[in-house]
Amino acid sequence: MADSPRSLLVLGLGNLLCADDGLGVHAVESIHQRFEVPGNARVLDGGTLGLSLLSCFEGADDVILVDAIAAEAPSGTLVRLEGDEVAPAVRNRLSCHQIGVADLLDALVLLGSYPERVILLGLVPESLELDTNLSPAVARNLPNLVGRVVEEATRLGCEFQARESLRPDGSAPAYTRCFGPAPRGM
Amino acid sequence: MTHIVVDPVTRIEGHLRIEAEVDGGQVSDAWSSSTMFRGVEIILKGHDPRDAWAFTQRICGVCTTVHAITSIRAVENAIGAEPPPNARILRNLIMASQMVQDHVVHFYHLHALDWVDIVSALSADPAATANLAQSISDWPLSSRSYFTSIRNRVAAFVERGQLGPFGNAYWGHSAYRLPPEANLLAVAHYLEALDWQREFIKIHAILGGKNPHLQSFLVGGMATPVDPDKQASLNMTSISAMRKLIQQARTFVEQVYIPDLLAVASFYKDWAGYGAGVGNYLVYGEYPETDGDGAPLYLPSGVIRNRDLSQVEPLDPAKITEYVTHSWFEYDGGDDQGLPPAQGETQPNYTGPEPPYERLNTDGKYSWLKSPRYDNLPMEVGPLARMLVAYAAGHPRVQEVVGYALGQLGVGPEALFSTLGRVAARGLETLVLAEKLEGWLDELADNMGRGDLRIHDNSKWDPKSWPKDCTGAGFHEAPRGALGHWVHIVDGEIANYQCVVPSTWNAGPRDAMGQPGPYEAAIVGNPVADPEKPLEILRTVHSFDPCMACGVHVLDPQGNELMKVRVQ
Repeated sequence: MADSPRSLLVLGLGNLLCADDGLGVHAVESIHQRFEVPGNARVLDGGTLGLSLLSCFEGADDVILVDAIAAEAPSGTLVRLEGDEVAPAVRNRLSCHQIGVADLLDALVLLGSYPERVILLGLVPESLELDTNLSPAVARNLPNLVGRVVEEATRLGCEFQARESLRPDGSAPAYTRCFGPAPRGM
Repeated sequence: MTHIVVDPVTRIEGHLRIEAEVDGGQVSDAWSSSTMFRGVEIILKGHDPRDAWAFTQRICGVCTTVHAITSIRAVENAIGAEPPPNARILRNLIMASQMVQDHVVHFYHLHALDWVDIVSALSADPAATANLAQSISDWPLSSRSYFTSIRNRVAAFVERGQLGPFGNAYWGHSAYRLPPEANLLAVAHYLEALDWQREFIKIHAILGGKNPHLQSFLVGGMATPVDPDKQASLNMTSISAMRKLIQQARTFVEQVYIPDLLAVASFYKDWAGYGAGVGNYLVYGEYPETDGDGAPLYLPSGVIRNRDLSQVEPLDPAKITEYVTHSWFEYDGGDDQGLPPAQGETQPNYTGPEPPYERLNTDGKYSWLKSPRYDNLPMEVGPLARMLVAYAAGHPRVQEVVGYALGQLGVGPEALFSTLGRVAARGLETLVLAEKLEGWLDELADNMGRGDLRIHDNSKWDPKSWPKDCTGAGFHEAPRGALGHWVHIVDGEIANYQCVVPSTWNAGPRDAMGQPGPYEAAIVGNPVADPEKPLEILRTVHSFDPCMACGVHVLDPQGNELMKVRVQ
């Protein structure tokens, strides 16, 4: 059988308006700022779209979901789940909001298009209150999460090239997603 | 008397809690509460109004485009920007395709399981199912072997021990009335609709980029370049790709959704007698056919009072106010007055019990939703309101499809004021819009062919061109109903922002006068065969397509024996 390159989907989940709930989306944004995404990978902001994200899974052999994960561990702790651990984790939810992700994975099973590998990477949240900023513990550990996503991607055959450092200390710029595109010709 | 608490009642986003009193097998009183605080208004203060849409599109997990467009309209209204015709057409395409996709998903994936018994489907005879399918539609996927394969697929899924999307329902409930074959047919189309929506939503990728959240919105127009000759623009190749998706959508709605809707409805005609609700309907109207203020709308605006289809009253936004008498907010001038959204206040004041709790104090404040009123009356918004206003206003195509559905079911227009009417209206609206989409596509292609490639009004982009102090309102008909955003801009920054969302109109609590909201009123009188399994209440609540503020999104591996969390 001819080797076709494996295709990776990195999908950040969560609500940007609810502090650490949106850490998956922040992580995805940070990946785009710090790395060149290779041709066999897609890095998408899935927000809280649930079932509407089905089309994103098309053609993805491997999937890394990035999300806030509740666990009995200090805020900001990195958590990794894989394979059969993922579906029960999203079903055993803190809130009904989670049904979106559980339904999404069930729909993939029902359609016979569940990806070969599903990894869930995330951090333990501190605050889920209405806030567009991450809590200090999560903000501090977000670079670790991003690094871990990139590491996993590399292991799965997707090399993310680091962009030239944008600042003297190597840090990424502040999160700037919430700005609309400038109009053309301006 | 039995007190039932259904919490949560929505299969997707949100934190909606219904409390109902049941007396003699019927709901005697009901309270609707949102237990999730939604306060994007607070976040928006001080921000650049041109960026507001990027925040508001995160208000609700599944309604991203609708809050983006409404926000942009509010800001355009405030600063006087005038989007060119192509922007209007692109927005119509985005909004109507969102509506079509959302309604199909609602019917099959969020609401069908209130009417369809999956477990019963497993005992269906595939040959009889094929006969049933062929008798109601020309849809080609209707063979015996096809339904055998579907039955096996679902059985295998159920045998895995994880019912997943099928795990929340009350299988075997006496209120389920479809024969096994109709159940199997519906399950087959549940799966097909999953596939179809996965395909159809690609129209948004064409219109707004590959990211699941559309990036092409812009105050003053759109950011999607259109040019028939350019690869990187929306060009003739994109037009033909969209045409194909639109035609597939229309076929799916005509041959699958509508026949299924009528077939299912024919077994539940008694539900035309339940769930009427407040009987007042409000529609902002949608799909401008020309440009500028006062452009004719394909689905008209208007207000119907007290189920009177003989007259549609013109809508006057100045009659909209919001009460917080029973909401966990406070107003500076006292909580018994209604405030117009333009002067609205968002000051949270939670006085409810510490969760977890058994009951809310429904005599006092009991919801995070305000109570919007029109001329001090509660109003239902959504597909039923839109179809009723269009029907009563003499919209030719709406009159035709409504008449067809009523004829097929052998019922009169009064049947529309019900849970079943709400379900039917959603399907009929999907049909009318699926038919309409291609016309807008043609209009766009014509403009491009004539060399009109304008997508944006740049003249008002610079905040220096704005009045020092200005206000604006943006209105939209979202899948779940009338959506309004009000913005007050001072020195180029947002000074105040208020959203009145469809689920606030429908799911809001009682007002200062004690009038119940549409959910609360619609649930009263519903039968409840088994208070432990209040399927009937879910039917009525789901018929509104509830969608609260999307909330917390956290995975919880705690307490699950299958799970080991590796802390690294």
